[in-house]
Amino acid sequence: MKSLVGNYRGAIYPVNPNSKQAWGIDCWSSLTSITGVVDLAVIVVPASLVPETLHECGKKGVKGVVLITAGFREIEDELGGLLEDEIKKIAQLYDLPIIGPNTFGFVNRTAGVNASFTSEFSLIRKGGVSLISQSGGICHLCGFLAIEQGLGMSALMSLGNRCNFDFPEALTYFIDHDDATKVVALYIEGLDMPRHLIETAQSLRGKKPIVALKAGRSEKGDSASRFHTGSMAGNHQIWKGALKQAGILAVDTAEELIDTAKALDSCPLPAGPRIAILSGQAGPGMIAADTIDRAGLQLSNFTTETQEVINRLLPPIAIRTNPVDMGPAWYSPKDMLHILSATLDDDGTDGVIFLAMYASANLKLAEELLREFEESDTFPKPVMACFTAPPGVWDHAIQEIDGQKGMVVLPTPERAVKAMGNLWRMKTLLEGRVQSG
Amino acid sequence: MDRLLIGVEAFDFLEKEGFPVLNSVLVHDADEAVAAAASMGFPVTLKIASPYAIHKTDVGGVKTHLASKEAVAQGYRGILDNFQSRWPDTRPDGIIIQKQGHGFELIVGTLTDPQFGPVIMAGLGGIFAEALKDVSFRLIPIEASDAKSILEDLRGYEALRKARGEAIDLALIERFLVRISDCLAGHREIQEMDLNPVFVSHRGVEICDARIKIGQ
Repeated sequence: MKSLVGNYRGAIYPVNPNSKQAWGIDCWSSLTSITGVVDLAVIVVPASLVPETLHECGKKGVKGVVLITAGFREIEDELGGLLEDEIKKIAQLYDLPIIGPNTFGFVNRTAGVNASFTSEFSLIRKGGVSLISQSGGICHLCGFLAIEQGLGMSALMSLGNRCNFDFPEALTYFIDHDDATKVVALYIEGLDMPRHLIETAQSLRGKKPIVALKAGRSEKGDSASRFHTGSMAGNHQIWKGALKQAGILAVDTAEELIDTAKALDSCPLPAGPRIAILSGQAGPGMIAADTIDRAGLQLSNFTTETQEVINRLLPPIAIRTNPVDMGPAWYSPKDMLHILSATLDDDGTDGVIFLAMYASANLKLAEELLREFEESDTFPKPVMACFTAPPGVWDHAIQEIDGQKGMVVLPTPERAVKAMGNLWRMKTLLEGRVQSG
Repeated sequence: MDRLLIGVEAFDFLEKEGFPVLNSVLVHDADEAVAAAASMGFPVTLKIASPYAIHKTDVGGVKTHLASKEAVAQGYRGILDNFQSRWPDTRPDGIIIQKQGHGFELIVGTLTDPQFGPVIMAGLGGIFAEALKDVSFRLIPIEASDAKSILEDLRGYEALRKARGEAIDLALIERFLVRISDCLAGHREIQEMDLNPVFVSHRGVEICDARIKIGQ
């Protein structure tokens, strides 16, 4: 109730026969007694009462259910499994899609629905990323990181026990039926029938980018097999190949999942791997350059024209070749943006890493950069930025810049490079298929 | 009942399916070995043929690059001695005389995963296959673009592309992988398959060794 009240703009009908009010709203004694239309039922009654509650949902013509209640297939007691079989049959009877059971629920920021037990998810910035997760914990990890790091999300949901709404159904919905979703992020632990997901993704290939984090990397191959192939085939290795085959970009960590989804939501894909690094201070540019190779990227070579622009704007006391030390332009955000646009215009550069760290001498840098940024056109190539400052100092400008005009702001230079590398991987993943027809 | 096809039985199956296998003959004595080698042309490789010796190299069951009649006769006896010192109460099915393969060594295999079903694998092969584990997997069936991306996944991809003194046509390997995938799709009874090594060279793709598990 706390999650819905004050956030959801439609009608809310609390159902509880033993209570007059919930969160200041009058309760109904039963679902069927409600006079209005019910689109969604959020069920939090004890497991034993779930079957009859689902029958009521069916009779009432409810369109969908979020079943937060736990105590089904996931428990050791075999009665849990039997109860789940029973609710599956009831759902089938009424053609009732159920998210769960055993889920924290879902949040749709675009529609303003927080049907979860975590009201704070309503603080997530609205955006184009939708997360489909096999774990509620991962939704909480990514949801709170999204708030902290300005990731714009459209939806996040944990599928729980996946009784009749599983990855293929969720993926099809977010890709084919939800315009607000631009990028789908998946968290997968393990599936009994993984081919359904892979085949669904294959059939939706190229419509929207899909990024996946698959847990269970340490699982070993079948050591009992007397065949080389069998003994080398770890479940994770097969997953890796299958995801690639489906056009899904696999990532290794939660932060990479978030960063990559954020970049995919706001930036164009690079046409190639050649990257320029522009940094307000030499050091961050150098460590960014150190990770370029590992991310599958290369440092770009500037054309004579670009180099002339940089040389005109920066005195020879700084390193003016890639990675460029823009230190001398500290006091002139206009020059920094000028260097940025010159490198973006360079045919030999496919994307830019743009870095600036706060120091008391450049206090106004971010605000002035924002003012210049507002005047500039949308960038034709991806720009991954990293601006770090003490809390409160540059926050406003960073929030305004982040996700606009083809630029995203990420927490560290290395993560900015990694995200750029993943945009390039996504490009090759999508093109590999196109080229060979 | 599961059945294991090794040696010439596996080669026969693969040849019937239209796959290129290095010329191989099963022989039962040293004279026959020498005659077979002479007729296919030196150098040749000798391999033990017995269901006991699955990992042939480990039991001294392989001699490669034998370039003369004497070397073949000596190699034949050596392999037989190694076999009989390990399994004194049994005799091998014979010894395979095979045209010496050369080129870059790949491993190509398939398995039936309990969750994913039929899966294909390709990677760096030969005796280093298990040590380097430089392999990549895809679900069967695969398309040409999947075959290409399997090879690109390998850490040894650059080495394969620029194999020493050999102009290797990667498209031939890709077609080979797609055909293995197609073959599996038509033979659901194949549970597992190891083709190792598969030689790739300017001569194209040639299967040097194979074992196939047939199940229900």
